[in-house]
Order: sequence, then structure tokens, then C-alpha cells
Amino acid sequence: MHGFWGRFSKNKSAVLGLFILCLVIFLAAIANWIYPDDPFRLAGKPMSIPGTNGFLLGSDTLGRDVASGIAHGAKTSMLIGLLATVAAVFIGIIFGALAGYYGGIIDDALMRITEIFQTIPSFVFAILLVAIMKPSIESIVIAITVVSWPAVARLVRGEFLSLKTREFVQACHTLGMSDSRIMIREILPNCLSPVIVIGSLMVATAILIESGLAFLGLGDPNIMSWGFQIGAGRTMLRSAWWVCTFPGIAILITVLAINLVGEGLNDAFNPRLRERN
Amino acid sequence: MFKQIKYIFLFSFMLFGFSIYAQKSGGTLVYLVQPEPPSMASYISTSGPIGLVAPKIYEGLFDYDNDGQIVHVLAAGHTVSNDGKTVTFNLRKGVKWHDGKPFTSDDVAFTVMNVLKKFHPRGPNSFREVTRIDTPDSHTAIFKLRKPAPYMLRALSAYESPIVPKHHLEGTDIKSAKLGNKPVGTGPFKFVEWKKGQYVRLEKNKNYWRKGLPYIDRVVGRFVPDASTRTAAMENGEVLYAAYNAVPNIDAVRLKKREDISVTTDGYSMINPVALIEFNAKEGPFANPAIRRAISLAIDRQFMIDNIFFGYGKPATSALSTNFKPTGLYASMPNYPARGDIAAAKAELDSAGIKPDVNGVRVRAILDLIPYGEDYRRAGEYLKQVLGDIGIKLELRYEDVPTWLKRIYHNYDFVMNLNYFYQLPDPVLGVHRHYGTDQIRKGTHFVNSSRYSNPELDQLLASGAIEANAQKRTQIYKKVQEILARDMPVVNLFEMQFLTVYNTKLKGANNSALGPYSSFSEAYLD
Repeated sequence: MHGFWGRFSKNKSAVLGLFILCLVIFLAAIANWIYPDDPFRLAGKPMSIPGTNGFLLGSDTLGRDVASGIAHGAKTSMLIGLLATVAAVFIGIIFGALAGYYGGIIDDALMRITEIFQTIPSFVFAILLVAIMKPSIESIVIAITVVSWPAVARLVRGEFLSLKTREFVQACHTLGMSDSRIMIREILPNCLSPVIVIGSLMVATAILIESGLAFLGLGDPNIMSWGFQIGAGRTMLRSAWWVCTFPGIAILITVLAINLVGEGLNDAFNPRLRERN
Repeated sequence: MFKQIKYIFLFSFMLFGFSIYAQKSGGTLVYLVQPEPPSMASYISTSGPIGLVAPKIYEGLFDYDNDGQIVHVLAAGHTVSNDGKTVTFNLRKGVKWHDGKPFTSDDVAFTVMNVLKKFHPRGPNSFREVTRIDTPDSHTAIFKLRKPAPYMLRALSAYESPIVPKHHLEGTDIKSAKLGNKPVGTGPFKFVEWKKGQYVRLEKNKNYWRKGLPYIDRVVGRFVPDASTRTAAMENGEVLYAAYNAVPNIDAVRLKKREDISVTTDGYSMINPVALIEFNAKEGPFANPAIRRAISLAIDRQFMIDNIFFGYGKPATSALSTNFKPTGLYASMPNYPARGDIAAAKAELDSAGIKPDVNGVRVRAILDLIPYGEDYRRAGEYLKQVLGDIGIKLELRYEDVPTWLKRIYHNYDFVMNLNYFYQLPDPVLGVHRHYGTDQIRKGTHFVNSSRYSNPELDQLLASGAIEANAQKRTQIYKKVQEILARDMPVVNLFEMQFLTVYNTKLKGANNSALGPYSSFSEAYLD
């Protein structure tokens, strides 16, 4: 593991990304402690400029605290990002593993299904799904999962296709191991590193999709999120810039940090690739 | 000598006066029509954007000035018989349709009996007591009524009851007649062209019966779907007039500061919109009037107006809007505090035995929101917070328009709904539909969805509709408002103020109570 961290820490921007990400997770963790009140609470004078009336980052049209919204929104963004990614990776691995391992008609059938999902533009599809179900945190996680898993399925299938012809897998066959054991115990661990990389990037995409949905008014109206804050503040951008700006910066920094970490993981898992560059 | 001085004085005064009041003729008036109207058939649809165009082409028997007083248009005069059951209109002579045919009493009789009473959304209500229209000569129309209908005289504007040419509609299928897209009226402007998705163009009617009018040569209504583009067009003087919040409030507040742009809330009193909460008064947590009263007590109406609608609006103080003050029907009522009274609201709930549990929650419910845009979401978020303070824990639900309409007016699958209603120029036209037992009409939109039913109130509404004596009518509606302030099947929040943003170059465009739904006959460019 020391070697892994050594390779990861060689990429300075990845370390910076990890540091920022840890800060965001820390913020999400202590949100309830530093801002114990409901972030929707009308905390004071509406449209306060940052630094006045006890608002660190100002207040919005209804007098809600922007800073409290960012802290609680971090929780929402992290939660949705992680849940949707875990679900998408899980579904993607099942589809990809079965398709890649068995090949033939199973591969054809599963890949055609995957392609159906891939051909629809993902954000439009997510909007459609949330609009059909009623906007809530569950429907948003489901929508993001549904549009995200095909990429994982494709990747896992490719890895399985190449790994299943290797000697160690053939050796397992001759030892009489069952298919499921070969898939789960032998092949899967060997293709996990690209899955972890793509998964880390998917967290960032999930946060962006959630923000986009909330911005368009398709977020859960009962849960504070960064996209919601931007959507609520966009009409008064010219008179109260801070309502949109700070949540926007929060999204930018978080997504950037996750991307940097993802790149760092990629470098660490595939050291030869980096040296080639 | 003295006499001469007097004449000189008088003459110079006239000159001076003339130079101030001289209206310039000519020019093109470009204004925003938002959204594009589905048709120009104002005689079968009350859709807002139709109202922005059609009343320039068609006229009504009456118009109403900014104080709500009757202005005679196609009717040169009218008399109401002592029993209120005969209304005689003396029509203007020498009025011609845009195609050159003369306008006669036959047109009026046909319009009311065969078009408005049958196909117009509100016409069957406005003219429900009219049994027959006699036309003894070409310029007299005598309306025979079953019962007195004083409210009918408030519904005769070009927007509410346009008079249409009989010779274009007789014998055709009125719903799909060609006239719907190529209107022919008697008004100050003639229809010329409708480029779908772009504009509608009208030309000055040179034979208009009001000599010297209109001043403007050409009127162009532009359709611009994007709000910020509309604001920009207003800002750089491309368009001169934008009504019904075509320029959003937030931008209007900013544009108002400019010297060449003015903002007015005049011209909406005949529409009379009121923001409100409808309750399911029949089942669920809000069947108890005490909790509905508590909600009315808790809400800070002024806060909503100031922070969500940018200061445009007036706190509601009764079931009727203060726009009914000139007709004497409005009465101020308790239970509508402008600033909200949390303590009183809690006391109301406590005395009704609705006690909080260990978490301070008394009632949990879902608040449906009218899906007409961001402002109503903000309003919902505010309500959630303020009612949370008195122990009513809300969840917000925001759906698409058809689903929402079906939920509220067809399935009655709601407990609390944020909405707004047009109260129109008379309570019979706009308010009765919200409370009467006969207005519990499953599947019909914007009627009594609370399913509130009170025989005493029904009785009062019925007598209010036919009462011709103004003082007695005031008494009846006072009682109506007292009952509604006590039972609160609907909590009125505030009287909405729509905005008209216009370039100061444009003058004389806001002379009617119908505002944007009136003609531009007296408008001119300076």
C-alpha cells in the first residue's frame, strides 16, 4: 500500500484534490453541528450582503442563510453522488461481467440493452425520469443511476473479455472452479482498478446532474442542495450575486477535486501509463 | 377694452391648452404579446394573450375607466327598468364593420344569444338570466331578463363580451369559423397579418366611428418566448409596451429606475387576481375550520409580497378584494393580519384541541403548489417555514400543469393547494364559483375544489346575485365575508399586482380598467 500512496502522491494536484475533497466531506459531516437549524429556515433579513446581519455568505430572497445551505447542500451532494455511483457500479459490474464472461448470445442481448440506454442523451434522459416519477431524492438517485451504469458495464465487459483468456483463468477452469467463483474471486479483483477510477469520476458527474436537475426545478423541494440554491438565486443574479455565486463555487471546487483525485487514482493504478507520457 | 383683454386672455389660454394636450398622429406601436395566442377568437376563449390583441379589433358595448365607471362604446346609452328585468341599449349609429357592412342590433342579439351564451367560458354565467333580446330597430337592443342581473353590466367590455359580426358567423360552425384567425371587428384597428411565431400586425381603421382616432397608424404585437430577450427588447426601445409580467418583476424593478421606462399596476382591476390557499374542507386534517383560521393568522402576507413578488401586491383582508371598494361590496374582516400573528395562530390551535406532539408537530400535510413558475415555489418554501413554526409540518409537491389540475379539480386528491383566482369585476362572476355548493363541479377547473358547502352562504350568494339595490347588496356581501372569514375554506393571501412596463414615449395607453385587454384607441407616441 505504501507503493500505491507513493505513486499517488507523486501527482501533486491529486493530493490537493484529495485534501479539498476531505474538506468538503468534513464540512458535510459537521453541517448539523455548525448550522443546527434547518437550512430552509428564514434566518434573518432577506438579501443581506455577505458579512452583514450575521450572514457569512449573505442571505437569499427569503432570508435563508447561504452558508448554511452550502454546508447542508454538501451533505446532499455527497450522499447523492455516492449512492448513485455505488448503485450504478453494482449494476454495471453485473451486466458487464455476465456479458464479457459468457459472450455469445448473452453478450449480444445485454450489450444491446446497454446501447439502448447509451443512445439517449444522459441528462435529457435523467430529466425525463425525474419528471415521470415525482421529484424526490429517491427518484433523483434512480435517474442518475439509470443514466450512469452503461459506461461501467462497457468497461467491465472489456476487462472480462481480455482477462478470461489469460492463463490464470484457464488454470481455474482446469481446477474445476464454478463460473461464479471465477468471476467474483478471480477476474473481478483484477479489473477493479479501472472501475474505481471511473467510479470516482462518476461521483463528480452525479453531483453535476443533481445540480442541473435542481437548477431546472426538478430537485427535491424538501431537501437543500447546491443546485437548488443556484436555481433559486438565478433570477436575481444582477441584484444579489452572492446567492448563486457561492454554491456555484462549491460545485466547481468539489467536482474539480474529485476529478483530480480520479486522475491521481488512475496514475497510481497504472504506473506504466504515466511513465509513457 | 376690458372685453378685448378678456378675449385675448381666453384665446391665449386656448392656445396654451391646445399645445399641452395635442396628441400626435402616426407612428408604429410595437408591443409584447406573451405567450403567442392560440387564436384570435376572443368570443370563445378567455386565454390571456388573445385578450392582448383581440380588443384592439373588436369592441364591446361598454368599456370601464380606471375608477371602474362605465364608458359607453358600441352602446351610446343604456337604461335599466325599475324591476331590473329589462335592459335597453341604444346602439351607436353609423358604425361599420372593417369589411364595410353596417353594425346593427342584429349583431348584438346574435353575439349574446348564439355565441357568448353558448361558447364563451364565462358567457353562460354573465348572461344566464337573459332569455331574449328584442331588436325593434337597427340601433336598439332590449335584453329581457328572468331575474335582475346587475353584474351583467360589469361584463360588457371588449375583452369579456366582444361584439362579433353576424354575417361572418351565421350558419358556420362557430368553434372553427375562419373569423377565429382573421378577426373582423368595429374597433380602432384592423387585422392585417399574423406571422406565426413572430408577430401579429394591425392597421389603423380609417373609418373608425370616433372621429380623429386612433392616433397610431400601425400596431405590431411581437411574440418573444425568452424572458431575458423580452427585457432586452424593452431596454433598447425595440418594444414600447409589455403587460402581464412579460418583463419579469425583478427586471421591472431595475428598469423602473431608467428615465425612459415607466412601470404601472393600473389596468388589472377588472381581472382582480388574488393569491390564495385552497383547503380540502371535506376530509383530511384541514376539515376543521380552526386550523384553517390558524393558518390565515400565521402568514406574514407583507413578507411574501416584499420578498417574493418584489413589493407588488396588497395583503388580502377579506374574501373579497379591495378592488370591490368602489362598488361598496368589500368589507374589512378579522383573521387576515398583514404581518402574521404566530401567537394568535397557536392560541387558535390550542383552543381547538390540536396539540403538538413531543417534536412540536401538530399536523403533517402536503402542500401542492400551482406549477406556474419560480415565484410560487418560493411562496411554498416560505409557507413551509412559517407554518412549521406553529406546528404544521408541510411537505411541498410541485407537479406539471395537467397532473396538478387533475389532482385538485378532478380527483380532489389534495389537502392544501397554493393557487390564484381572478375575482373579475363582480363577485358573481369571479368569487361565487369558489364557494357555492352548486360550484362543486368535478372536473371543471377553478371552481369550488374545497367542496365547502354551507346552505346559509348559498342563500346569501343567490340573493346577492339578483339584488339590484346597492345598499342591500353591500349588506349581503358583508355577511358573506363574515362567514368566509370564520370558516375560511379558502385563505386569501394577497391581491396580486401584475405589471405593465412601458416606454415613456407611449402615452394614453392606460386609460381603461381593462388595461392591456383594452384598445389602444387613445394611445399616441410623443
